[in-house]
Amino acid sequence: MNVIEVKNLTKTYKQLKAVDHLSLEVHEGEILGLLGPNGSGKTTTINCILSLLKYDEGSISIFGEEMQPNAYHIKRKIGVVFQELAFFEELTVYDNIDYFCGLYIKDKNIRKTYIEDAIHLVGLEEFRKFYPKQLSGGLKRRLNIACGIAHKPKLIFLDEPTVAVDPQSRNNILTGIETLRKEGATIIYTTHYMEEVEILCDRILILDKGCIIASGTKEELKSLAHIEEKVTIEDVALEDPQIKQIRKLENVEEATYQNHSLCITYKQGKNNLIALIDYMKEEGIHYSKIYSERPTLNDVFLELTGKELRD
Amino acid sequence: MTVFKAFLKVLNRYKGTVILYTVILVFFAGFSLKNNENGTSFVASKPSILIVNHDQEEGITQNLVQYIEKNSEQVNIKDGEYAEDDAIFYRDANYIIYIPKNFRDDFLQGKNPSIDIKSTGDYQASLAEMLLNRYLRVANFYFKITNSEEETIQLTENTLAEQVEINVTSKLDVNRLEKVATYYNFTNYCILAGCIYIVCFILSSFKEYGVKKRTIISSTPYAKLNRNLLLSNSLFAIALWIFYVLISIFLIGDVMFSMHGLFYIINSFLFTLCALTFAFLIGNLLQNKNAISGLVNVIALGSSFLCGSFVPMEWLPSSVLTIAHTLPSYWYIKTNECLKIVEVFDMETLKPILFNMGILLCFSIVFVLITNIISSRKRKIG
Repeated sequence: MNVIEVKNLTKTYKQLKAVDHLSLEVHEGEILGLLGPNGSGKTTTINCILSLLKYDEGSISIFGEEMQPNAYHIKRKIGVVFQELAFFEELTVYDNIDYFCGLYIKDKNIRKTYIEDAIHLVGLEEFRKFYPKQLSGGLKRRLNIACGIAHKPKLIFLDEPTVAVDPQSRNNILTGIETLRKEGATIIYTTHYMEEVEILCDRILILDKGCIIASGTKEELKSLAHIEEKVTIEDVALEDPQIKQIRKLENVEEATYQNHSLCITYKQGKNNLIALIDYMKEEGIHYSKIYSERPTLNDVFLELTGKELRD
Repeated sequence: MTVFKAFLKVLNRYKGTVILYTVILVFFAGFSLKNNENGTSFVASKPSILIVNHDQEEGITQNLVQYIEKNSEQVNIKDGEYAEDDAIFYRDANYIIYIPKNFRDDFLQGKNPSIDIKSTGDYQASLAEMLLNRYLRVANFYFKITNSEEETIQLTENTLAEQVEINVTSKLDVNRLEKVATYYNFTNYCILAGCIYIVCFILSSFKEYGVKKRTIISSTPYAKLNRNLLLSNSLFAIALWIFYVLISIFLIGDVMFSMHGLFYIINSFLFTLCALTFAFLIGNLLQNKNAISGLVNVIALGSSFLCGSFVPMEWLPSSVLTIAHTLPSYWYIKTNECLKIVEVFDMETLKPILFNMGILLCFSIVFVLITNIISSRKRKIG
């Protein structure tokens, strides 16, 4: 079953087309990653889906019903964690979660349980009575998430929830998101951190200039990149003829040498690394480290758009 | 209830500032009433006069001295011009009369002798001058007719002894009503500053971009939340109004239970309503929390000074009062000033008061309308 169906969505700001005839579906229980550089239209798409923005064209339905600003029965099932921190500086951690949960859940006893669950999920047990200004950046991010998901929504939008977060808080947040999925929530996760997407998401949409330029599972996306393997050799001294020779090796797509580091990409094939090591031995070339990698989503993005994800 | 609870918790964070503000303002209100104690009430008083007589104390001279002494407070200071000048400078004497040598003889010869005086120039000195002129005018008149010193003295004494009975028909407790007006004029600042300060802080918290966005996407209608917020702020404003009314009862007493008191209370309620709606408008326009304190000073202090809250209206230049017409404080203070001289409450006397109150209501309605327009425009994010 599709939780969200977006068809032909278009949103323009004066001359700029922020979202350009975008269509997407989100399946129940999945974590869908929206990947794209800053300004690619991720947040605009989410704001349109949430009826925070009027759009020019297209249709949006959530849980099989058309989404509108006054569709409060649909909104009841949605939780949103925005990029920007959204809570009261004057309220404690507990009171903040209580207030935002209270906008959805009127029953005091149910709310109490839900608040405790949210606090536990993001690991803020020791900070219940703290005011936001007493929290670190990472803890504030966790509070931001708790405020957005305390009412146990079935559909959760997480818009770059780990921006400027320390590793400990990031791990905590990612574990929390996994827990939410296990509890049955459908999650739309926007970020430009490809590692997070690779860890969390079942399906990924890559956006650029308001359009979906690729979609699928991470394996499907990686297959779009016309490279199979990436080999890097560090602390190596090479002459131009040697580099030219390496480029002529079987299956080599590209070989770039800079700062005493050689990076070789292979289209396909097996035993590429063995062949390379044999050549180095034959030529008597010394190096400190050599390793082989599978292509990343960044490589896919680079191949599709010609620029890095974090450009 | 969720909004009201959050409202109280946010308000609680500002309680220190609110209490400090209130204590200072109540102190100033009490202080200003104390200073106003002898404002406009009638107190019988006699001028302080020093008579320096260089003539013999006989006949018409003696009679003049006796008349002046009877109708004034006599000042005894040591002789000497410096001592007399000091007495005038330090207001120990309001008036000094120098009766010249041979005054009696010159008077009886019809020479109309001149009398030197020194005066402080205030109203007490005017009263002293009036006493002296009256005596000389009457005595001159009778001497011209009778040409006899004895008869002149007798007739002058009889004439000046005539008393006119004056009945004060007004039952207005002018002094206390002046106090009420002063107090309620001062509350213009207290209510305006209190409402703007708190309402703006509360609104800026609730309408902070992220919080607002989170609220709009929630299952609680935004209009309902706004209503609850307005209601919560109204309760605060009413509590503030009740507090200042109670303080007025405590400081001024039973005048507040009269018709005058009732109208002062109604007027202050209408002004509170106006201040609340104005604060709501400012709160909706304001983007920056740090600007609130400055704004309170500019708006509350500015309109208090322009409209006669601290300085009586009659002392303000007409150009300032013309500008003040555009501010609610002007109409509030004008009503307070009208009320203190109202003797009888009938349609004739109430007409200007009701008119001013009506203008306050109109201001409130206009503020609400503008707030609604701004709020509905700002609801759209992006």
